[in-house]
Amino acid sequence: MKKILILLAVVTAFTACKSGSKKKGTDEKSAKTEISLSAAGSTFAGPFYKTAFNKYFDLTGVQTSYGLTGSGAGIRSLKDRVVDFCGSDAFLSDEEAAQMPAPVVHVATCSGAVDIAFNVPGIDSIKLNPELLADIFLGKITNWNDAKLKAINPDVKFPNLAISVVHRSDGSGTTFIFSDYMSKISKEWKDKVGVGKSLNWPTGMGAKGNPGVAGTISSTVGSIGYIGSDYAFAQKISFALLKNAAGNYVAPTIAAVSAAGNGDMPADTRIMETNSSAPDAYPISGFTWIILYKEQAYNGRSLAQAQATLQLIDWMLDPAAQGIAKELKYAPLPDKVVQIDKAILRTVTYNGQPILK
Amino acid sequence: MKVTTIRDNSSTRNTKNNIFLGVVIFFSLLTILPIILIAGELVVKGIGQINLSFFTEIAPDTLQAMVAKANGEIIPGGIANGITGSLLIVALAAVMAIPFGIITGVYLYETPGKRYSNLIRDTADVLQGVPSIVLGLIVYLWVVKHITHSYSALAGSVSLAIMMLPLIIRSTEETLKMIPGTLKEAAVALGVPYHKIILRVLIPSSFSGLLTGILISISRILGETAPLMLTTLGNPQINWDITHPTSAVPLLIWQFYNDPNMVELIWSSSLFLMGFVLTLNIISKRISAKHSIH
Amino acid sequence: MNSDKITKYFLFAGSLLILIVAGGMVFSLVGGAIPAFHKFGWHFITSTNWNPTEGRENYGAMPFIAGTMITSVLALLISIPMAFSTSLFVSEYFRKTPVASVLSSLVDLLAGIPSIVYGLWGFYTLRPFIMHLGLSPQGFGVFTSGIILAIMIIPYATSLSNEIIVMVPNELKEAAYSLGATRLEVIFNVIVPNARSGIVASYILAFGRALGETMAVTMLIGNDNKIPHSLFDTGNTMASVIANQFGEADGLKLSSLIAIGLLLFIITALVNTAGKFIINRLS
Repeated sequence: MKKILILLAVVTAFTACKSGSKKKGTDEKSAKTEISLSAAGSTFAGPFYKTAFNKYFDLTGVQTSYGLTGSGAGIRSLKDRVVDFCGSDAFLSDEEAAQMPAPVVHVATCSGAVDIAFNVPGIDSIKLNPELLADIFLGKITNWNDAKLKAINPDVKFPNLAISVVHRSDGSGTTFIFSDYMSKISKEWKDKVGVGKSLNWPTGMGAKGNPGVAGTISSTVGSIGYIGSDYAFAQKISFALLKNAAGNYVAPTIAAVSAAGNGDMPADTRIMETNSSAPDAYPISGFTWIILYKEQAYNGRSLAQAQATLQLIDWMLDPAAQGIAKELKYAPLPDKVVQIDKAILRTVTYNGQPILK
Repeated sequence: MKVTTIRDNSSTRNTKNNIFLGVVIFFSLLTILPIILIAGELVVKGIGQINLSFFTEIAPDTLQAMVAKANGEIIPGGIANGITGSLLIVALAAVMAIPFGIITGVYLYETPGKRYSNLIRDTADVLQGVPSIVLGLIVYLWVVKHITHSYSALAGSVSLAIMMLPLIIRSTEETLKMIPGTLKEAAVALGVPYHKIILRVLIPSSFSGLLTGILISISRILGETAPLMLTTLGNPQINWDITHPTSAVPLLIWQFYNDPNMVELIWSSSLFLMGFVLTLNIISKRISAKHSIH
Repeated sequence: MNSDKITKYFLFAGSLLILIVAGGMVFSLVGGAIPAFHKFGWHFITSTNWNPTEGRENYGAMPFIAGTMITSVLALLISIPMAFSTSLFVSEYFRKTPVASVLSSLVDLLAGIPSIVYGLWGFYTLRPFIMHLGLSPQGFGVFTSGIILAIMIIPYATSLSNEIIVMVPNELKEAAYSLGATRLEVIFNVIVPNARSGIVASYILAFGRALGETMAVTMLIGNDNKIPHSLFDTGNTMASVIANQFGEADGLKLSSLIAIGLLLFIITALVNTAGKFIINRLS
């Protein structure tokens, strides 16, 4: 027993030393910086944020913990003031913003695509237009050999196979972006199902998380569903080319998502970029935001803590961080949006004084 | 006059006896089947990822994983931040739950039958059935929001301690009930003060059962994700400050699961947890074998 | 004050903690659930609606209550033969042999597997198996979840039972053997009556665990917000819907989820009361 305890103590000490050396020479910086940040929210942007925050830690010694709680829980955490900022795939509406204890600002950080993934043996790629998409997800088209599918995919040999729709069972920003697009292109969808992070699905089975949907599609022949693009890429799942508002069939590439972001951008960055009219835009694209309080002197927050928060978010807009987004298959922000974001950050104050110059 | 024939039914009884033994063995083997299947799958899928850096390095991020996979290498890094976090949180939870659990269990044993005791017993059983996520939500309200004003290891420990409590209370009481009453009566007859009876007679003789209850509750909470997500959030670095967000192995498993490039790491982390539980189990068996009075 | 009284008060004070915790929990749950009950009334409990669309929100708990009960009962029924057999194997038939030690450790291992791993194993291994057997077209459902739950609760049922059975006094058993009883008869006529309270307590503990299990079930039950029509149909449970929707919910929906949490609390209490009643009837 004693031997085991001694062993445990040795391992712990060893680990503590080893973790010190992982800080790669920022030991002096981290000794001085006792600041650490915490944030929670969107799982859609999670991989990007976590990687970027790790890089920021290597550069500055400021450590940021990001929890994959979901956008709603992230917003709740911000409301309860237990995190420095939150990540969300849906911006707060005016009513929702009014429920926060103090005014907030939104900073768009990147955008991503929602892929329409499917599993039909022998078929790698199909084209879908808005009417078909709506009919499939509303449960009106139920077999892959339906004439309407054949009409726009004349070269594809569809088998006689039932279509199984797969959707998210948990509330999700991905669902929000998807349903926003669907409501724009189908009146029936808008009336029957609407927009939201969870929906009253007319058909289909629910799976938990992007991995759940991806796994279900991979293992269920004849299935079709929607997943975040970084997931579809990593798991090598077939996706559909979608007809955008300009009439072109587009694949969910980074360039196509960036094209969707080149439209009008309001000064507070709160806009949905689905169904963009740009010619090479991918129609189901969406921004993801960081939300924080406009006035940072709340709850006994120190100036140093507020500064650290702002500096991190400002860094997220710089080429180094945006480059990480691109490597992870998200679309970096267009320059126009970066400018707007930076302007917004410079309106964030501490006791009335702007924090960043 | 009625004549009752006495038949020797011992052969029927023996047959029944043997059949039952067969049934018991069959079902016991059936129980092992899922263990072997699951453990086997964890080993096969996870062992490749386990090396020294698994224990000493912090979790990788998705970019590192993506690059490694593209190059055909194993993913770098380990789960050190999760291991230390789990140790911290579980140790703290155990320190909070064990004393209260045992005290309450002893109390129930000493005063059975009273309405208050029944209330406690029923409360413990009901608490068992509360989904861990509901506990997480409530501890979020109590501790994260009002005490630490931040996600913290302390909040995580509180939620886990609440989960341990009913198990420890019930197993303490049930184990004490099985101690022959003569032991206690002898001590009382000798005029031993009450607290000494508890410490020197009751607890040592029920040690094995107590340890089982404690162990099974620790095993249970080692793998809990939902309450920790709502209370400790997670941390990419190793953290020993209980008022700050901290990582834990199940949280890392959840993160790996949700990450497109790190799904394979689930298996090695789970293998670690399983191995840890097995080790705890073996240690406790040795300890209770030494202390057992049977 | 003599030391015995001090000890008694000390014990009493310690026992208050669990009541305070449970009481605080009920208080927080009720507080959070009030908006939902205010809007929907008692109808909330029996309604089968679940419409999260803004402007048309309508929530009801019945599908989840049904799903929870069906899966947990199924899990308990499946686990009892295995848990009881394993207990007897380890604590009676092969007691103190290395085989028993190995089996006991293996069973305890089950408790250490994180529930998300059960969910994953169920998703990647059990589900295709069930699809292969033709029992269900997509493998999700009450039956699959029931099996996983049964496996998960076996260690709770066996561990405590093991300890209890072992502690049955040898004299009682020896007396029965000396009268010519077979092993089987000793088990059912001596051990079980003597250890009955502890054994049933362990099953109640196991059942409680099944009622509240979240992660594993949510990956396998299909997340269909309706009452399951058959053993292989999909459905949803109270814990699963809370886990799924909690991260994104607010306002009325959050309140409905908390109300479901409160209902689960109450159902667990009712189940335990029924269990106690049965135990009393038996002894």
